[in-house]
Amino acid sequence: MQRRFLCLFFSRLMVDRLERQDPLRAAAPFAVVWEDRGHLCIAAANGPAREAGVRPGTRLADARALLPTLHIVLDNPEADERLKQHLVEWCGRYSPLAARDGADGIVLDITGCAHLFGGEADLLDEIRAELRAMKFRVRGAIADTAAAAWALARYSKQAIVAQEELPAALDPLPVRALRIPAEIAVELGRGGLTTIGLMRRVPRDSLTARYGPTLLLRLDQAMGLAAESITPYRAPAPYRAALSFAEPIGTTTAVEQAILELLTTLCTRLEKERRGARRFDLVCHRVDGSAAYLQVRTSKSARSLTHLMRLFSEKMNTLDVGFGIEVATLRVAEVETIAPVQMALPQCGKSVEEDTSLDELLDRIGLRLGFDHVCRFRIRPSLLPESSTEFVPVTMASAPNAEWPTYRIRPVRLIEPPVLIEAAEIIPGKCPVRIRIGQRLHRIVRAEGPERLTPEWWRERPAAWTTRDYYRIEDEQGARFWIFRETRRAEPGERWYLHGQLP
Amino acid sequence: MGNTLPVEQRSVPDRAASLTIRPVISMERRFARTISVSKEIDLELPFHGLPLGCVHEAQSPGLANGIAFASLLSVRIPDPSGQKVYVAPDASFHSLGLLPYRVPPEQWIHVVARNSLDLAWTVLEALRCSKVSVVLAPVKSADLALCRRWQLAAEGSGATGFLLTDTAPKPSIASVVTRWQITSIPAPFGATFGEPHWAIDLVYCRGGRPAQWTAAWREERLEHRPPSRPLQRTALATANRLAV
Repeated sequence: MQRRFLCLFFSRLMVDRLERQDPLRAAAPFAVVWEDRGHLCIAAANGPAREAGVRPGTRLADARALLPTLHIVLDNPEADERLKQHLVEWCGRYSPLAARDGADGIVLDITGCAHLFGGEADLLDEIRAELRAMKFRVRGAIADTAAAAWALARYSKQAIVAQEELPAALDPLPVRALRIPAEIAVELGRGGLTTIGLMRRVPRDSLTARYGPTLLLRLDQAMGLAAESITPYRAPAPYRAALSFAEPIGTTTAVEQAILELLTTLCTRLEKERRGARRFDLVCHRVDGSAAYLQVRTSKSARSLTHLMRLFSEKMNTLDVGFGIEVATLRVAEVETIAPVQMALPQCGKSVEEDTSLDELLDRIGLRLGFDHVCRFRIRPSLLPESSTEFVPVTMASAPNAEWPTYRIRPVRLIEPPVLIEAAEIIPGKCPVRIRIGQRLHRIVRAEGPERLTPEWWRERPAAWTTRDYYRIEDEQGARFWIFRETRRAEPGERWYLHGQLP
Repeated sequence: MGNTLPVEQRSVPDRAASLTIRPVISMERRFARTISVSKEIDLELPFHGLPLGCVHEAQSPGLANGIAFASLLSVRIPDPSGQKVYVAPDASFHSLGLLPYRVPPEQWIHVVARNSLDLAWTVLEALRCSKVSVVLAPVKSADLALCRRWQLAAEGSGATGFLLTDTAPKPSIASVVTRWQITSIPAPFGATFGEPHWAIDLVYCRGGRPAQWTAAWREERLEHRPPSRPLQRTALATANRLAV
């Protein structure tokens, strides 16, 4: 069967993406700029800008001189990549073999697909209409080879070329249409060979001798004499395993066995692909049509069968079996690649299992108590006691610790919220001599301070401003506390609070 | 240590003697790994140091003294990559207060376990992990079965557990290897608040005798000194209460 390829050419992809995002942009001239060796250069320009003379490849300074009202947008390669990926996946509805073709094209292998859409002409019209409705400027061509379709889409008015018409269709096109390097095209131009037709009349060995083998390879690929393959895009298969049972199961051992089989399938696949996952969702479809769910999360990507089986068995008693389970599916989400671990030699002592034991411990504790309750400390750049340390869950990466001035002594235990205490025999500006905490009276023999802490001015309104003077006190028995005097700007007077315990 | 028989008599297959020797030898083997508390305290301890791989108790009025004592001992454990796990029913632990004791905050893992069953389970699981070097947990009571399970887990993995208890509601931890009571005593004139002064009381020690010391934590060592005022032990234990 004769192979047919369809090539799509998106002439202004960057501009189209931005205009789709914000349709109002199309009215005024704007250009996409990128940085090239320290200068900002134009990468693409929209319709009004082009009419005013702004061309891609020129410097922004020159373009601004030409058109002072030009808007600029910085280029965003990641967004463009995502858009191209999305378009390739979208083209999957027309052919199973769709591939990215260079920076601005898509090629589809439509051998045997055209009749499903009513013929090649209708297929091309439909694709172009759909993409135009999506506000993309696109040109397409269908030919026998991918190279010929590429050339026709960009440089020819003809859209569909049959097998026997191919040489005639390619002849008038410039030599650039063969995807050769720019230097060779310039040299060919100097030699007078400006179109493909002129080039084909020259004997082949002299072309190879003068310009190298690439030129003839490209020509043969366009004519169909040399092979060229495309690597189609394949969506990654979802990580999913399912088991259906001849009779509904309900006993613990049966459910465990089912989970073990599902996990084995997925874990072997993850191991083969050197990946791990952080979320495992088990869905059990019951006989009466409802479903029961079980989810296991881990703090680090895991694929170890024993560890996951243990996590599942700890949660299994929460699974409501109902009248029986007919189908059990296990899905995996948040898949990440795991770096391979060096296996230790047997006589070196420590085995590989021990290195993951801390992660497994954190997973088990997090699964039972909640991952928010398993935290590490992070010292924040703040002196206020309620915000100077932060609990960061182990599942999240934390920023590095801030420097803490060691002369500032802090209590080992904080009492949140601070407890109001009564103070007597206060010398103005100093620490009281007697305080009462709850029912106990304490006589203070030693005090250090005050350490004045004011709230962060960008958080609190001035009316709610409270100033705190902290004192480290020791009473006559030797017990040591951290108390503060709170004064408010709005109200006169002061109040004393107990905030922490010092060793 | 009066019940160790001399070497030449150990080979005699005397039933009475072997019944006495076996627990002593096995205890020496079990508590072979120790850390030093301070020179004077090590002399009194039967293992010449605080044994690792087992569970201890530190009582203090309000938990601050116990936390500080346990932390400064845990820094001396020769396991630089070991994690320190702090399990508590609330989030009142302030790790900045331990910076004078050279405890790096990166090695702490803080777990909040609201009810006592979850707390006991977490301590058990943490003690089983070989990557954990020390587990600190404020507990109120633990019966013999639970203490035994904790002890077995700690021996299996080499982790050390410190149970922190408050002297005010009387704690009832059934069995630990050593029981300490740390109370604050008045500091002499001129001492700073970064150097706490404690009355360290070894209430119970397996294979040893109770003893008392007074010491100050200064320059990463416990310096022993006589108390500045005569101490009344019973009054101290009940008087320094944080009645909040």
